[in-house]
Amino acid sequence: MTTAPLVEAIHLEKHFPLPRTARESIVGAPRRAIHAVDDVSFTILPGETVGLIGESGSGKTTLGWLIARLHEATGGSLRFAGEDILALHGAALRRWRRNAQIVFQDPVGSLDPRLKVWQIVGEPIRAQGEHDRGVVRSRVRELLPTVGLPPDCLDQYPHEFSGGGRQRLSLARALSVDPRLIVLDEPTSALDVAVQAQILNRLVELQRERPVAYLLITHNVAAVRYAADRVAVMYLGRIVELGGVRSVLETPLHPYTKALLAAVPVADARRRRTRFRIGGDVPSLIDPPPGCRFAPRCPFVIDRCRAEYPPLREIPESPGQWVACHRAEEVRTVRPAELLSVGEAAPAAAPPTP
Amino acid sequence: MTGPVVSIEGLSIDYVVGAGRFRAVSDVSLTIEQGQVVGIVGETGCGKSTLAQAIPRLLPEPPATIGGGSIEFQGVDLVQVPKWKMPLIRGTGISMIFQEPLNSLNPAFRIYDQIAEAVRIRRARESGDRVADDRAPPPFDYARGPAPEAGDALLRPLVPAGAAAAVHRRRIGRDERLHADVLEYLRLVRINDPETILGLYPHELSGGMRQRVMIAMALSERPALLIADEPTSALDVTIQAQVLTLMKELIEEVRTSILFISHDLGVIAETADVLGVMYAGKLVEFGPVGEVFEHPRHPYTKALLRAAPTRYKADGPLTSIAGSVPNLARPPTGCRFHPRCPLAQPVCSAEPAPPLRAAAGRADHRSACHFADDVGRIP
Repeated sequence: MTTAPLVEAIHLEKHFPLPRTARESIVGAPRRAIHAVDDVSFTILPGETVGLIGESGSGKTTLGWLIARLHEATGGSLRFAGEDILALHGAALRRWRRNAQIVFQDPVGSLDPRLKVWQIVGEPIRAQGEHDRGVVRSRVRELLPTVGLPPDCLDQYPHEFSGGGRQRLSLARALSVDPRLIVLDEPTSALDVAVQAQILNRLVELQRERPVAYLLITHNVAAVRYAADRVAVMYLGRIVELGGVRSVLETPLHPYTKALLAAVPVADARRRRTRFRIGGDVPSLIDPPPGCRFAPRCPFVIDRCRAEYPPLREIPESPGQWVACHRAEEVRTVRPAELLSVGEAAPAAAPPTP
Repeated sequence: MTGPVVSIEGLSIDYVVGAGRFRAVSDVSLTIEQGQVVGIVGETGCGKSTLAQAIPRLLPEPPATIGGGSIEFQGVDLVQVPKWKMPLIRGTGISMIFQEPLNSLNPAFRIYDQIAEAVRIRRARESGDRVADDRAPPPFDYARGPAPEAGDALLRPLVPAGAAAAVHRRRIGRDERLHADVLEYLRLVRINDPETILGLYPHELSGGMRQRVMIAMALSERPALLIADEPTSALDVTIQAQVLTLMKELIEEVRTSILFISHDLGVIAETADVLGVMYAGKLVEFGPVGEVFEHPRHPYTKALLRAAPTRYKADGPLTSIAGSVPNLARPPTGCRFHPRCPLAQPVCSAEPAPPLRAAAGRADHRSACHFADDVGRIP
C-alpha cells in the first residue's frame, strides 16, 4: 500500500518581504512580509492528480511554483522522489527540471508570439541538451497528436490558435521531456465550458497512457471534481483540508470548505434557494495574526481559534481526510444548508486595510 | 399591466474591420417585461456582450454599425436616437454594471464623488433642471416621444477637474441631502460602515466592494432597465456568492428589470427568470429558466448544459461539443450550429435555421431548430 511519494513537501514556507517604510527603518522595526505560503505539508504520489483549490490570494499558484522550483522557498523542505531538490543548483537543477514541468495560467502570455510551434514545444527538449533541429522537429511532430493538435502545424505561430489550442500547445511543451510531474496552473480557467471539457478529458486520458502526476491548481471546483484523485483546499497560505476528492467534496469538514462548496453556483434552476454564504472579504496576508486564518469569517469561531493555529490532523471518523480546525468534530455533522442561519449572524465585512 | 420595458426586434450588429464585415449579432428579437430578470448565456464570441452594449448604444460606432432592427425602450426607438442624445436615456433609463469594476470606476475620484455624480444627474432630470444651469428646460418625459435637445450642461462632466475640484468638493460636501442619498444607496448594497467608504478611492476597496459600489451607482439612477454584463465573473466564488445574494435581494426590493449576461450557467440558474441562449450571434433558444434547463429545445443548449463538469473521473469522460465555434466572417450556411450538431440533417445546411418557434403547449418557450422536438432524444 505504501508507495514512496513523488513529491513530499514538509513545512514549506514562502514569505515575500516588503520594503520597509521610512518610519520603520528609523525605529528599526522588523521587516514585514507577505506570508504567501505558510507551513504547508503534503505529498503527491506517482501518477496521481492532486487538486489544489482556493480563492485568489490563497497562495495556490505560489505553492505550485515552489514545487516546480520557480520560486525559492524561505523555509521547510521539499523532496522529489526522495531527493532534496531545494539543495539543487546550476547544472544539476537544470537536469532535474525534466522531471517537473508547468502549464501556466495565461495561454497568451506564456507562449512567445515570435516563436513557431516547433520552437515553443521543442524548447524544453533543447534545454535538456538536444540541439539537432531535425530531431527536435520530429519529436514535436510525434507529440502534437497526443494533445489533439494536427502534426502539420509545426511552422505556425501561436496567434493562429484559439484559446483551447494555445492551452494544448502549453501542455505539449510540458509533455515534451516526459516529466513525472506537471503543475497545471489554472489550465482551463480562460476557456469556455465546452473547450474546458475537451482539455480535462485529454488530461485524464494522458495520465492513463503515461505515468505522470498532476498538481491541478484551480478555483474551479468542477474541474477538480472530475480530474483529481485527492484534493487540498487552501485558504490564506495554508492548507485547511486535504483528502480524497469524493470525501472532501461530499462531506467537507472545514467550515471554509463548506462555504466554498456551497458558494459554487449550481446549473440547476430548482436548487436556487439553498445557499450558504459567508460574510467578509479575504483578509490581508501581511503578517497575519496567530490563530486560524479563517477565524474572522468563520461562523463557528471560539476564542481558541483566534489564539492558536489548528494543525492539520486526520479525523478518526473519516480516515484519509485531514483538516485544520479545532472544532472539526462538531462542525462535521452540520449540513451546509443548516449553516444558513449561522452564516447570517457571521461578523460583518471588515473594512479593507488601506 | 404595462407593456415590456424593452423590446428588441430583428436587431443586427456588424463590426466593420478593414474590408471584413463580422455580423456579431444577427436578427435577435427579445422582450424584457417589467420586473423581469432575463439571463443571456453563450460562449466567448457569441455576441452576448455586443448585444448588452448595443442597448444603451455604448458600442464604439465605428467599427460597430447597427445593421438593422429596432430597440424599443419606453416608446422610443433607441436605434433612431442620435448618439449625442443618449446621455439623456442612459442612467435614468438604462444603467449598466460591467465585469471589471476597477476599470469602470474613475481611479482619481473618491467613491462619494462618483456616486454623488449619478445621484445629482438623476435629481436634475427628475426636477427638469439642468445641472449647474438655472434656465430650466421642460421635464423630460419618455412617453411623450423623442428626447428633447440636450443642454450641453448634461454632457459636461459634473465633477470638475483641476483647482475647481477642491471648491466643488467643498460645496457638494456640504450638501447634506446629497450626502444622505449617497449613504442610503451604499446601505442598500449592504456596505458596512459606509461613512468610511465614502472617502476612499477605488483602489483601496476589494473587488467585491467595488462591484457593490458599481451596483449602488447604477441603482441610484433608479433605472427602468439594469444591464449586468458578467457582473461576478471577475470575483472569487465566495465573494461572487455574496454579490449574487445581494443582487437577488435587490431584485425583490427595487423591482427593476434586469438583463443579466453571463457565460456561467450556474450564475444564470441562480438569478434569471427567463433565459436566452446565444450561439454565433443568433438567439437560439428563449424561455423560462426552469423549462430551458429541464427540457432544452435546441441541441446547442443541451450540449452546453451537459458540458458542465459534474462528475468524477471514475464516471467516464466529460461530454464536450465536437468542433469549434464558427468564424463570424464566414458563418456556415444554413443553421450555424449544424457542423457540430448531432441531429443535423441535409435541410440544416441547405436552409437557414427557422425563426424562434414556440413549443407545443408552451408559448413562452421558443427555439430556432428544425428538429426541436427531437432534442429530448439526444442521449
